[in-house]
Amino acid sequence: MTWKRYQNELIALAAFVLMFIGYGYKTAQVSSQGETMASANHSVGEIKEVIALQKIWADKKTTKNVDKLQTLIPTSKVQWSSKSKKVTANYKGLTATELNNLVTKILNLPVEIQKLKIQKIASSYDVEFKCKW
Amino acid sequence: MNFTGNNKELILAHTSMKPVDLSYTVNVMLTPQFYTLKKEVLPLNYAYQAKRIAPSLFEGLVEEGRDHDYIVWKEGDEWVFLAYDMEMITAFLARKGFVLENVSKIFFAQQAVDLFDKPLVLGENEALASLDDMIVVVPRVALMEEGPFLVFDNSFTPKKGVGLQDAYGSVLSMKQASTLAVIFTLFSLMFFVEGSRYSNNVQVGEAQMQELLEDYPSLQSKYTRDNIITKYKTIDTAERKKREIVKMVSDMIFKGVTLTSFDIDEKSYKVQFSCKDAQVANRVKALAKKNKLNTAAIAGSNDLKIEGTL
Repeated sequence: MTWKRYQNELIALAAFVLMFIGYGYKTAQVSSQGETMASANHSVGEIKEVIALQKIWADKKTTKNVDKLQTLIPTSKVQWSSKSKKVTANYKGLTATELNNLVTKILNLPVEIQKLKIQKIASSYDVEFKCKW
Repeated sequence: MNFTGNNKELILAHTSMKPVDLSYTVNVMLTPQFYTLKKEVLPLNYAYQAKRIAPSLFEGLVEEGRDHDYIVWKEGDEWVFLAYDMEMITAFLARKGFVLENVSKIFFAQQAVDLFDKPLVLGENEALASLDDMIVVVPRVALMEEGPFLVFDNSFTPKKGVGLQDAYGSVLSMKQASTLAVIFTLFSLMFFVEGSRYSNNVQVGEAQMQELLEDYPSLQSKYTRDNIITKYKTIDTAERKKREIVKMVSDMIFKGVTLTSFDIDEKSYKVQFSCKDAQVANRVKALAKKNKLNTAAIAGSNDLKIEGTL
């Protein structure tokens, strides 16, 4: 019965193996947590990014805000054409202040600028603006 | 069922015994030829205290330079101390044909002193007898009368014995093995608990994502999310660039510079500045360079043109 000769060593070895299994379990959990957390963080980040992008570029108030471009300038200077989610606007004879206000407003709108043309005519400005959202 | 190993055959080992040939596990009882005995009345309560002072009691009584182990128990008011040399014992047992793996426990004749109401014959010339509650080896001729003698059997097996596994080839003693086992087991428990905590943390991370998905159920599919990101990210990047260009152009307008025309569409941009003099034109050029925009002078004037693609 050779095992009896090494009974003490076997007891210590069994406990060591148990410790090793415990260490393996912990390591596996740490590694699994790292992967799962990284994956979860990535997914959470991705979802947050989607939400943020949607909030900007699919804002339901955009139509209402774009319409304000029509009233921002005196009606006599504006030629407005709106169809579905597209706008074509022509502004004639804008003062520098009106131009600044208009451009600032356009830049702050979450729309795709298809065309923005500013032309200085004498001391005033003509603006052609096309956008969609 | 006896779990203490006391149901095994008990063999009395003495110097004049004949060699044995055994293929099964036995217990062995040793005669005083293999141990030194001392009895003392000491104000001690526990055996471990007695065991601690045992080496000092045997100073001068046992052979110096050899390792001795001790076994201690209490008989009435007296503490019984027994010193033995396990190396010498195992060597003797091996010489007599004992396979050490087959020796389960070792007992000492003194432990069964109560059973020695008669002498026990050891071979032709010697006998074991109890004198003043001490088992001693006496010459058989010294016995007052011939018989009756004790018959040695398993009933002499005491309750407490010495395990032999520590004595033959084992690198670790039982105590060391137990200590190591306890340490390793504690560590393993620690690892299991820690591992289980990490497992819980994973669930927390997953719960956070589930919470978000509950608020936005349409984003549950990764395919949908990827599509939305692709769509809006392209728009976002292009539109940010357009706005950046407008901002850069507006930063280049200062006293002496007039924006003559500005045109931006989905692919390119074109800007024209009218500058009062060459100095202003140079400053505009420097600003354009800083913003990594390419300028071109319009022949015959101080006007500058900037063109580029998005």
